[in-house]
Amino acid sequence: MLMPRISVARWIGGSALLFVLAGCLLPFVGPSRIDWGLVLQRQDPDWSILMDLRLSRTLLGLFAGGALALAGALFQSMLRDALATPYTLGVSTGASLGAVMAIALDWHTVAGVGGIWAGALCGAGVILFVVMGTATRHGQVSSSSLLLAGVAINSVCAALILLVHSFTGISQSFAISRWLIGGLDAVERPTLMLYAGVVACMSLLVVRQARQWNLLAVGEAWAATRGAHVRRALVRGYLAGSVLAAVTVALTGPIGFVGLVVPHLLRKRLGGDDRLLMPCAFLLGGVLLAGCDAIGRTILAPAEIPAGAITAFIGGPHLIWVVRRGGTR
Amino acid sequence: MLRLRNVGWRAPAGAEILRDVSLDVAPGEFVAVMGRNGAGKSTLLDIVAGLRGPSEGSATLDGRPLDEWPLRERARALAHLPQMLRADLSIRAEAIVLMGRYPHAARWFESQDDAEIAREAMARCGCLEFRQRSLSTLSGGERQRVYLAACLAQQARVLLLDEPATFLDVDQQLQCFGVVRAEADRGAACLAVTHDVNLALTFCTRLIVLADRGVARDVGVAEALDDPSWLRTFSSRLDLERGPSGSWVRYR
Repeated sequence: MLMPRISVARWIGGSALLFVLAGCLLPFVGPSRIDWGLVLQRQDPDWSILMDLRLSRTLLGLFAGGALALAGALFQSMLRDALATPYTLGVSTGASLGAVMAIALDWHTVAGVGGIWAGALCGAGVILFVVMGTATRHGQVSSSSLLLAGVAINSVCAALILLVHSFTGISQSFAISRWLIGGLDAVERPTLMLYAGVVACMSLLVVRQARQWNLLAVGEAWAATRGAHVRRALVRGYLAGSVLAAVTVALTGPIGFVGLVVPHLLRKRLGGDDRLLMPCAFLLGGVLLAGCDAIGRTILAPAEIPAGAITAFIGGPHLIWVVRRGGTR
Repeated sequence: MLRLRNVGWRAPAGAEILRDVSLDVAPGEFVAVMGRNGAGKSTLLDIVAGLRGPSEGSATLDGRPLDEWPLRERARALAHLPQMLRADLSIRAEAIVLMGRYPHAARWFESQDDAEIAREAMARCGCLEFRQRSLSTLSGGERQRVYLAACLAQQARVLLLDEPATFLDVDQQLQCFGVVRAEADRGAACLAVTHDVNLALTFCTRLIVLADRGVARDVGVAEALDDPSWLRTFSSRLDLERGPSGSWVRYR
C-alpha cells in the first residue's frame, strides 16, 4: 500500500468540505449585515449584494487561491526548487506588464472585454513564447534552462513595469500602484464562469499527472528512465502552470504569497507526494485566499485591506514559525 | 542482448568524450565499468540507458535502437540508477520505491501487487524497516538503498547502476553487490560503475576499463586475475596479491 488511502481520502475530503463551506459561508461576511428576510424574498439591495458582489468575490477568491497554490506546488516539484512560485517563470510578470500598459494607455475596453484583462492576457501570451523560446536549446528543455529563462525575463518585465510607471500621470500612476498590490473584486458572472472553467480544466490536467511530477521532483534522468516523457512533461507543466497564473493575475493582480506558502505548509504536514499535496493545495489555497479577503473587508471596515496584504501578514510569520519549529517529517 | 557498435559521443560544446566503443552484454553478465574520473563511464551508462543518443554508431537492445523504444516499454526492460539524486525530498521511502512501478501501470494509485513487489525489493536492499520514513530524514547510505530498491522494483532485464555503492558502509557495499549479482544469476544483464576493484573482482563476471575515450580493457574476471596489467590504468600504486584463499588488490 503506497499511501494510506484512508488518510488520503480524509485529507482531500476534509479540504473539499472546507472549500464548499467557505463558498457557502464567506459571502455572509462583510462590512454590512445581510438581512435574511430580504435575501429569502430575493429583494434588493441585500440579495444583489450577496449574490452579485460577495458571492462572486468569494468564488473568485476560492479559485484564484487554488490556482496560485496549485501552480506553486507544480513549479516547486517540476523545477526542484523550494522557492519556486507561480510567478517564477515570468508569465505572470508579463501579465502584469500588459495590465500596467493597458492602464497607462487608458484602454478601457478592447474588443468588448476589459482593457486590463485583455492587456494582461496579451502580455502573458507574449512572454510565454519568449520564455519557451529562450529555454529551448537544440530542441531540448530542462528545468534549469526554464528556471533561468523565467527568472531573467521576469526581471526584464519588472524593469519595464517600473519604466512605464514612471512615465504615467498621477491618476494612472495611482491605479497602477493599486493594481500591482493585487486584490479581489467582484467580477461579472460570465467572466467568472469562464475563469472558473479554465482553472478547473487546467487544475485537473495538472493533478492527473501527479505521479509524473513526483518522478520529476527526484530528477530528470530518474523520470526519463522510469518511462516519463520529460520534455513533454516540462512543456505541459510550464504551459498549464502559466495559464493558471496568467488568467488569475489578469483578474486579481499579482497576489503574493499564496503560491509559495500554501504548498510549503502542506508539504511540512503531508509530505511531498503530489497526489495528496496538489489537491489539498488547490482546495486549501482557495480557502485561505477567500478567508483572508473576508478578513480584509471587515477588519477595518469601511476601509478594505487587499487580500494579498493579509495573506502575506498571516502567511509569512506562520511559515517562519513552522520552519523554526523544525517540522520536517 | 545489449549491443553497442562504434559508439561515439560528443558534448554539445564539441569535446569528444567517447570514441569507437563497441561491446555486447549478454543476460547473466555482471559487468563492472571502471576507469579514472572523467573517463566517460557515466556517459557510457547514459547512452545505454537511452538518456543520451550516441553522436556516432548505434546502441541497440534486442536489435532495436534504444531511441526507437517507446519510453515506458524501454523502462520496463531497462532500469537506471543515476549518480546524483535528490536528498531533500519529503516523500516516503516506500513511495520512492513504488516509482519503479510507474512504467508497468500509470494509474493514479499503485496496485496491491505493486506494493508487494516494492516491499520485496526493499527487504532485499535492507531498507524495509524505514519504508515509512521521509527520504529527507534518511542518511546518505540509507537513501542510496532506497533508490537501489526502486531500480529492483522496476523488474527490468537490464540493470544500469552508476556507482551504486556510494555512501554505503562496507557491509552494505557487499550486500548491494551481492543483490546485483543475484539479479545477474537470475538472468539480468547488469552494468555497474565502480571504483572499488576488490568489489568488482569479487562480485562481477567481467571488467570493462575505459581510458583515452575508449575501451582500454574488456576482460572476464578470471583473465583479469591472471594478468593484472589493467590495474596500471587506474594507478601505479595497485598490486594484485595472491593468497591461498583468493586474490585481492592491495595499495602500495
